Amino acid sequence: MIIIAPYAQKLRTGKLNPKNYPYWEELISKIDEPIIQVGVEGETQLVPDFRKNLPIAELRKLIQECRTWIGVDSFFQHLAWDEGKKGIVLWGPSDPLIFGHPENINLLKDRSCLVDNQFIWWEATEHRNDRFVKPKEILEHLKE
Amino acid sequence: MSKVLCSVATRGRYFTTLPLVLNAIINQSKPVDKLVIFDDNDEPQDMRKEMIYQYFFQMLQHKGIEWEWLYAEKKGQHHIHQAANNMGYEWVWRCDDDAIPEPNVLKTLYSHIGDDIGAVGGSVLTPPYTPDTRAVTGLIDYIDSEPNIQWGVIYEEKQVEHLHCTFLYRAGTCDYNLGLSRVAHREETLFTYSLHQKGYKILVVPEAITWHMKNPQGGIRSETRREMYEHDEQIFRNILGHRDRTIVVLNCGLGDHIVFSRILPSIPNAEVYSCYPEVVPGKPIAQAIQLYGDLDRWNVYKKMDQWKWKDSLEAAYRKMYL
Repeated sequence: MIIIAPYAQKLRTGKLNPKNYPYWEELISKIDEPIIQVGVEGETQLVPDFRKNLPIAELRKLIQECRTWIGVDSFFQHLAWDEGKKGIVLWGPSDPLIFGHPENINLLKDRSCLVDNQFIWWEATEHRNDRFVKPKEILEHLKE
Repeated sequence: MSKVLCSVATRGRYFTTLPLVLNAIINQSKPVDKLVIFDDNDEPQDMRKEMIYQYFFQMLQHKGIEWEWLYAEKKGQHHIHQAANNMGYEWVWRCDDDAIPEPNVLKTLYSHIGDDIGAVGGSVLTPPYTPDTRAVTGLIDYIDSEPNIQWGVIYEEKQVEHLHCTFLYRAGTCDYNLGLSRVAHREETLFTYSLHQKGYKILVVPEAITWHMKNPQGGIRSETRREMYEHDEQIFRNILGHRDRTIVVLNCGLGDHIVFSRILPSIPNAEVYSCYPEVVPGKPIAQAIQLYGDLDRWNVYKKMDQWKWKDSLEAAYRKMYL
């Protein structure tokens, strides 16, 4: 079983968080393995098993039960790192060298995709699909 | 050689003590690398139109001293000093707009700086009040029972824990408390004490005399509302009350708390305020606001921006707290 944590925190402006990966449906359709989605109420459900608003302790337990996980730059990547479970983080405008953990597989399309100021509110950054790697590349790493 | 920015915050003293102060700064035996004047007047003027100021600006130009006249935000001198603190200089010499340094002051203060020094101050004399401060310790524990050591003639170098006014300090290391009111009562004590808490030496040194004219007109603290002083005094007392603790304020996201939790065991005697006590146990953030006034100096993102940070978030927390 793998866990997906597809979304970064909702922005107060209601705009799409620029850290959200744009090709989840395509990626999920190509994964031949049970998937559990974790997140919060209001997020789009991508797989039949969507566990919303889990307490931290339950999330930690679930992380221990999974083979691996795929997420974006959100709190989940830190929690899984804290649990010592290696996973895949899909990066867009934020810098994995600052906000990521080298223990994970950090997939960044190119450092030119990063925004110059990493410490501003993400509301100021537009979401762009072309900042992210395509599902094919992720699948190659998922086999590891 | 380390670069020195000289900052002067001024209000209501265009034609009284400010010209004397500027003249004294321009004629220091060790020139400053840049002079910045923060004009906090209620009705600021273009001083380039005034003959005496034209002469000052000419002298600065002739001496090759960069200068800038900035109109401040009327939020108090702590905001002004914080702006100077973040201007990218290694050292800032802050001068009051009614305190006139003798020509050797900067050279003398500068001769005492080093890797372990946080701030250096000299005597700031207000005739006829010149108490004998030879027995004064300059320790924060005695702040209520002894005069400030800078008020008297300093005869020998002494390590203290806080300074009063007009001193040279290591910039970009500690923050001014922006939670204080416009009068910014105790701001310099809190600031220099925070440098001391960070492990840097605070020195008072002889042969660096500044004459405090105590001009009754104007002044950056011309506000007289008692509640402002009480508000600031309360923050001061709260910070002093926790001085044996390392105050940690996590006014940030859940992921940041998780990363921070790795370094918490290394922080000696931490007093933690947390948004997610289930991840990092601590007191409510609202309590930190009430006690310390301003939480920006614990904002790790602002710090990383200020430091032009390229390393990890965990390393940034280590720099902040260890």
